[in-house]
Amino acid sequence: MMQFRGPHPSPASGRGACRSPVSHDMGEAGGEGVTHKAEEKMGRLDGKVAIVTGAAQGIGAYYARGLAAEGAWVAIADIEPADRVVAEVKKAGGEAMSEICDVSDGAAVARFVGAVDEAYGGVDILVNNASLARMDRTPVEELSAAEWDRYFAVNVRGMVECVKAVLPIMRRKQYGKIINITSGTVWNGPPNMLHYVSTKGAILGMTRALSTELGKDGIRVNAIAPGLTSTDYIKGKNNYADYLAAIANTRSIQREEVPEDLVGACIFFASPDSDFVTGQCLVVDGGAIKH
Amino acid sequence: MGKLDGKVAIVTGAASGIGPAYAQGLAAEGAKVMIADIEPSEATVKAIRAAGGVAESRRCDVSDERQVAALIRDTEAAFGGLHILVNNAAVFARYVAVPLDQISAEDWERAFAVNVRGSFLCVKAALPIMRRQRYGKIVNIASGTVFKGVPMMLHYVSTKGAIIAMTRSMANELGRDGIRVNAIAPGLTSTEYLKGRNDIPGVLEAMAKTRAIGRQEDPQDLVGACVFFCSPDSDFITGQTLVVDGGGVMH
Repeated sequence: MMQFRGPHPSPASGRGACRSPVSHDMGEAGGEGVTHKAEEKMGRLDGKVAIVTGAAQGIGAYYARGLAAEGAWVAIADIEPADRVVAEVKKAGGEAMSEICDVSDGAAVARFVGAVDEAYGGVDILVNNASLARMDRTPVEELSAAEWDRYFAVNVRGMVECVKAVLPIMRRKQYGKIINITSGTVWNGPPNMLHYVSTKGAILGMTRALSTELGKDGIRVNAIAPGLTSTDYIKGKNNYADYLAAIANTRSIQREEVPEDLVGACIFFASPDSDFVTGQCLVVDGGAIKH
Repeated sequence: MGKLDGKVAIVTGAASGIGPAYAQGLAAEGAKVMIADIEPSEATVKAIRAAGGVAESRRCDVSDERQVAALIRDTEAAFGGLHILVNNAAVFARYVAVPLDQISAEDWERAFAVNVRGSFLCVKAALPIMRRQRYGKIVNIASGTVFKGVPMMLHYVSTKGAIIAMTRSMANELGRDGIRVNAIAPGLTSTEYLKGRNDIPGVLEAMAKTRAIGRQEDPQDLVGACVFFCSPDSDFITGQTLVVDGGGVMH
């Protein structure tokens, strides 16, 4: 399902003619395509290719749309189809592709990343957002080994599978921006979700160690820790009102957190503005946690 | 279209060191910038204007409440408001090794007067305007030395620890007014001044080797984070400290 072959045209590359993605569903034969939005307005991520995992819905979809709005070509990996998000990006004048991919399956991740490299000519940004995050209360004594392992397979090893797959590509250019999504729960340690919180703590350590190991390759690795964010999934839980009341009060900015609140930080860590920032974690939660 | 179009910013301590980079970075994004320093700041103003930006400067000792009040008044008179405050002015950042038992009481007091009381006085003076606007972005400049507990500059490191605490407390107190308060913690940065020193051979290079990104830190490396904390992109971020040092300290 290749949509476009060849390197992502960067405005700085000196290639004058606009090389536009030929969209399959535009029904146009080769040649003419949609003018890349980047030609009209300079985005901070013009010429960049971003992978966002877990972006079929939830906060991930907002990261994907936000990066695309800044000019990045976005590739989404999710266990659910992401056609809706891809269509939204294209409707807004951007470029996106998606594939079904379970990040805990290293072979599938390698295939996905290979497809992105072939379609878009590289990978500059990786947003490790895919994560199991059920908010149902599970006391520690009821946590099964299988569920524990599943959470670590997706939330932690899944990130490493993605890093391993993009590494050779990022090393080619000696440039990369990896953003790992952790969670404010690492700081306030809520009960009855030990598997989830533990995976997010692991991500913090992973971010720091990766930054040291990959710094010499020009790859920056940072983390974002969101607070409880009002996604459709979260709002559908029958204890949502309790969560909201309990949490909004703990914030310096006393309102619910919405996915839009996180996009700015994602773009910051994806853009050259943060090129000398690595190994860091930024808490984005209206100031409940002070880090 | 800049990220800070229509905004007015004060940057203290922007005559030399890292401050000019912050001031120029904010101006490049469309902010009108008032530069405050005890030293003459014409060079920074000229550089901003040469790049097409808007800037003025005032002589101001941030440890002096009356001078700070005048600074805020002058800024509002010149530019019509105040949205952004970068508390960058600081003393004893100039890499002079002094054992703690040789720090005089006067030097200790001076460090706190400028670095800590100065930041507090600027926020206090800016508050009425920011509250009226129900909008403000305060960026306090801390230091990576807090996390490393760098020896031989106890007064300086202690003031920067106070800045981090102040950032958190201010965030809580001012959040309801639409004012966000965050801090940037730079690593040892190769300013013009430090590069000109010949009595600390190899220090800047040795520091580079301790970083994940193994090079010296340039004032330009800090501009992106400053612009981020001054722009709407960070509107739901407050009370935080971001270390910008190429991955020397991990926070």
